[in-house]
Amino acid sequence: MSRPFPYAYISCPCADTPVPDPARKRRSRETSHKTNPEDSNLPVAQDYDFEDERTFDPRSPRSNFSLYPPEQLLYCEDCHQIKCPRCITEEIVCWYCPNCLFETPSSMVRSEGNRCARNCFNCPICTAPLAVTTLENVTGGGSQQGPWVLSCGYCMWTTLDIGIKFEKPTNIRTQLSKMTDSSRGRQMSKTFGDLKSPLSTYSSIDDQFPPNENKGDESNLPTDQSSGPLNPEARFQALKGFYKNQIAATSSSPTDPLADFGAGFSSPGALNRIMSLYTSSSRLGNLYGGANKKPKSRPPVMREALVASEGLRVPAPDAENALIRRMASDDCGWDGMASIEQRTFQSPDARFVEDLLPLPVLLRTKRSKRCKSCKHILVKPEFKPQSTRFRIRLIALSYIPLPTLKPLIPSSFAGLPPSSVAPAVTGAAAVPNLDALSPLKTVQLLLTLKNHMFDAVRVTLATPSVTPGRVASKVTILCPQFDIGANSDVWDEALQGSTAPGDQRASRSGTLGSTEKVAEAGKVWDKGRNWTTVVLEVVPGTLPGGATKRHRVKQQDNRDDDDSDDDDEDEDSNADVNANTLDWSGQTKDHSQQLQPDEDVLEIPVFVRMEWDSENQIDQEQSVGKGQNSEQNTVKRELAYWMVLGVGRISPEVSL
Amino acid sequence: MTSGSTAFNLDDRRTSASMSLRHSQSGRPSTPQHHLRSNNSSFASTSSASSSLRGEEDAIIFEFGSRWLRAGFEGDSTPTCVVGCGPEDSRRAGDYRGWLKGSPNADTSPVQPLKAEEWTGAYELWKMNVRDVDLGLVEDKIERMFRETYNKYLLTDAGTTRLVLVLPPIMPHPLLSSVLSMLFSRWRFPSITLLPAPTMAVAAAGLRSALVVDLGWAETTVTGICEYREIVAKRSTRAMKSLLQETGRFLTRLSSNGGGEVDDISVNFEFCEEVVSRFLWCKPRADDRGILALSQPTEYHKGDGEPADQDITTFLHKSVSIPSPLNPSSNYLEIPFSKLAEPVEKVLFAEDVAECDLDDEEKPIALLVYNTLLQLPPDIRGVCMSRVVFVGGGANIPGIRQRVLAEVAFLVDQHGWSPVRGKVIAQQRQKLQNLSLNERPTSANSEKENMPPSSENPTVQDDQESRESEEEEIDPVEEKLRRSRDKDTKPPVQGILREVESLGPWAGASLVASLKIRSLVEIERERYLQHGLAGASRDLDPHGYVPDRRSGLRSGGDRSSWTLAGWG
Repeated sequence: MSRPFPYAYISCPCADTPVPDPARKRRSRETSHKTNPEDSNLPVAQDYDFEDERTFDPRSPRSNFSLYPPEQLLYCEDCHQIKCPRCITEEIVCWYCPNCLFETPSSMVRSEGNRCARNCFNCPICTAPLAVTTLENVTGGGSQQGPWVLSCGYCMWTTLDIGIKFEKPTNIRTQLSKMTDSSRGRQMSKTFGDLKSPLSTYSSIDDQFPPNENKGDESNLPTDQSSGPLNPEARFQALKGFYKNQIAATSSSPTDPLADFGAGFSSPGALNRIMSLYTSSSRLGNLYGGANKKPKSRPPVMREALVASEGLRVPAPDAENALIRRMASDDCGWDGMASIEQRTFQSPDARFVEDLLPLPVLLRTKRSKRCKSCKHILVKPEFKPQSTRFRIRLIALSYIPLPTLKPLIPSSFAGLPPSSVAPAVTGAAAVPNLDALSPLKTVQLLLTLKNHMFDAVRVTLATPSVTPGRVASKVTILCPQFDIGANSDVWDEALQGSTAPGDQRASRSGTLGSTEKVAEAGKVWDKGRNWTTVVLEVVPGTLPGGATKRHRVKQQDNRDDDDSDDDDEDEDSNADVNANTLDWSGQTKDHSQQLQPDEDVLEIPVFVRMEWDSENQIDQEQSVGKGQNSEQNTVKRELAYWMVLGVGRISPEVSL
Repeated sequence: MTSGSTAFNLDDRRTSASMSLRHSQSGRPSTPQHHLRSNNSSFASTSSASSSLRGEEDAIIFEFGSRWLRAGFEGDSTPTCVVGCGPEDSRRAGDYRGWLKGSPNADTSPVQPLKAEEWTGAYELWKMNVRDVDLGLVEDKIERMFRETYNKYLLTDAGTTRLVLVLPPIMPHPLLSSVLSMLFSRWRFPSITLLPAPTMAVAAAGLRSALVVDLGWAETTVTGICEYREIVAKRSTRAMKSLLQETGRFLTRLSSNGGGEVDDISVNFEFCEEVVSRFLWCKPRADDRGILALSQPTEYHKGDGEPADQDITTFLHKSVSIPSPLNPSSNYLEIPFSKLAEPVEKVLFAEDVAECDLDDEEKPIALLVYNTLLQLPPDIRGVCMSRVVFVGGGANIPGIRQRVLAEVAFLVDQHGWSPVRGKVIAQQRQKLQNLSLNERPTSANSEKENMPPSSENPTVQDDQESRESEEEEIDPVEEKLRRSRDKDTKPPVQGILREVESLGPWAGASLVASLKIRSLVEIERERYLQHGLAGASRDLDPHGYVPDRRSGLRSGGDRSSWTLAGWG
């Protein structure tokens, strides 16, 4: 039940081709078999080796990933195959902010954290867009001055709640990042200030330097801790600096300086060491002349971070208690704690609502799509973010017939609008209420396939006579083989219609004109210029416990006569325990008896195979305008896929 | 100085340090002012020279857990996004039921009671027990998660850059194989690097050796790591999954108002998870006056101006209101704050179960930590016990870290570092202690691990003292070692129980990747597609899968074979 009934889904054929690893193909097949033990009683489920002959089960958990609404599918003209999002590759054409529609150049996307760098923010509480508003009342002065805040029009949250005001109404994000970094990561500037200039530190040849630096850090240690811990970002940078420091220090101090020299030449990654020879002239002498004075006996070992400025963080002993205290305090409460959803994109330390910062809007992308196997472009949007047009767009619906399903309204009620009929009438011939189909009662449905190609198509439909799963519904397609006309000029239909007005009316308004019409096996229900309608006959199965169909029907017959109170005794006395132990209120202990979610949805897998003669693409240029010639240049094409028709939900009560 | 400009400064330094030959790129106009706290990316990382052949673009790092997928770029401190996999994420395309949740016409039927396993099972990406896991389904889920992550959050073309996966150190091969096959066949990743999560957590703490306590979803693992090598790992099923199930039962009991045990859970999973993440907490050790007294004075002058008699025990009588489990959108329910600590006590610390009744795989966390430490060699134990790193979802429960440490301290106090238990042993130990009371000082120095940690001070390990005690016999080698060590390093803290905070495995992998350190497990696309997992060479590198510099510069450039290292 994903969309209102009735609906149609198409399964992309790529689901049948497993991931090409010869070692594991068999295994996955076995496991997938094993996980559906309830399917194993089906005759078709056993021959997994013949994948083509396997019935598609819309209920298996994997099918959720291969079923798509028809309008979401693409079609590759080179492979002649339906393409779903899984069998295409995507390339980003442009990045833009969905809020301000400004395009972000590709070089800036990453540095801006994939988020809008302007004034677009989302509320951290409710995700509504935030507006920049002034604090001062406009009544006072003509021009809006003074501090600015971001405010949410939906939940009335403002940045004042977290104590943030902006000086200017522009470049909010820059201001915000400055503010948050200075308030939270005050540390960082100092930490990096302590580090030495790049060349002298990182490329130092001897290992005397880092220890000196350590001592400097140590002296800073008390002040570091008094000013609070680093925020994660600053800590990460500190750690990165520390590791780089260590790697540089340990890799550039071998036992023999000459070997180092050689190593420096041999590996370009160590070029920095050569460069450092020239940057520190005082050490140059040390290297060439004075190196022997003090031979380094052993390579320094990488050590771990020791102080906070190197990224070490030993939590304060009372930090957790303070948290608990804050949680328990009266002014916090449930709404004072940030929810999981709110914390998703916030700093990992944010736990309370006060810690949440406004989130810049996440950028979106326009992507062109290619077929994964032949690299043919399937979709290419226009570059401008504002434009909604496409340069290339090969959607599947222009190649495969669009399936639509509707209930066949029995003739006696055909004139009435369905809404007024459905709930009121309880007789057998009512308009079927698709949200509560009564089991074991035949429903007739009209399946219309509309062709969008300019070639006539021969369609063969096939369906298992009993739907897979525990709820076995019987399905019959009254006319499984039929033709659909080509999608010719719209005027053709009008012209045809003028010749045969009676037919036209009947086809236009299928319900009204078909008062005498009865669905017949082997006959197409209705046919138009580029569409054909056939009748599906469906007998919805009973919900679990369907083995006792006949009993239940009998009981229902009794029930109509007796008082409803007697029914319980009737059922208890009934020999069939299975039907009686069914408990729809959900209190059964036996979970296998219980209805799984969506198990009561009646979905019919239909295998569609279409054949058509299409013009040969290569010869098309020559044969343009020569209608006779095209006969020789045609190529026979066929396409086959599974389709799932969602008919409705079967109601638990059997009402006759 | 703002973060932006400092980061820029650092990047600048890095380019010059690593001496990129394409130096011109670092002079590209950069916009330090655009740096954000969430994403302080470095420009230079795109231009820095790397040992790998395709170091052109930043690697993308994915961390897999059973519940969450974290993804982002190397060099960032936090993942760009964290994606979960619930039942809403495995719906059909075009199925928008999840969005109806808040609206009035959503189906308001009460959640059907479910068995605890099923209740959580829908929210797991995989189970480690692959016997009843549909690998195809896992592939489908991962494929969709990857695709959506790339399209929604990462905003780069999938498959163009190197991929780094942070995985649990033990993965079932079928699972690993199907993940890799899916990734390689779906996208054109040139190579996939695997990194073990605990080691990465250690790297992100700035350490080289540590005891990583991962309070994960399916199980809690305690891993002793020395110099980036995994030494010992122990696991317990007392983890977040069972905690969530317990909380679910607790809320079900609350909502049904009936006493007694309930097996089935009839509250919403999301709601329950919300409760766990917002309000679950952990009491300090019950008879642990020491910790309370210790934390007491500091709390005051930390200064939220609270009265002096306020301590943890007064919370117990407080009550908080949480949304009513049956109808979270309208009603509120008052429950005592202390009740919210109960699931943690029961699940993670096995409060009401005697130790002898516990199976090997369900030891409480504190005991697990103690046992792991016990199994480590004494020298590594000393190093590891003062570097306890908590990661995983459970580490966010307030109070849990100090509780675990206090319990471990208690265990050490009680039993010392000996696995032997029993009355006779206790008597003997008592006697020995009485005997050795007068010669305590020397013994303290010779076996420092034996000391009760609470009484010890980090500065005890100071060189002066040890030098004093060893004045009598001068070992020339020791002396030399000490001299050389004194020169550049402080003696490492060891022998006390201490917690060190880590930025998490993802950040660790990001660090390691941005330093262009290569992992031992780097799977090339072509090689994998030839033979799959079977192509991995069996002979493990004797150094283990240490992502340190030395293993990064693998000798000989032997690229013809690849290994799975620890995963093999």
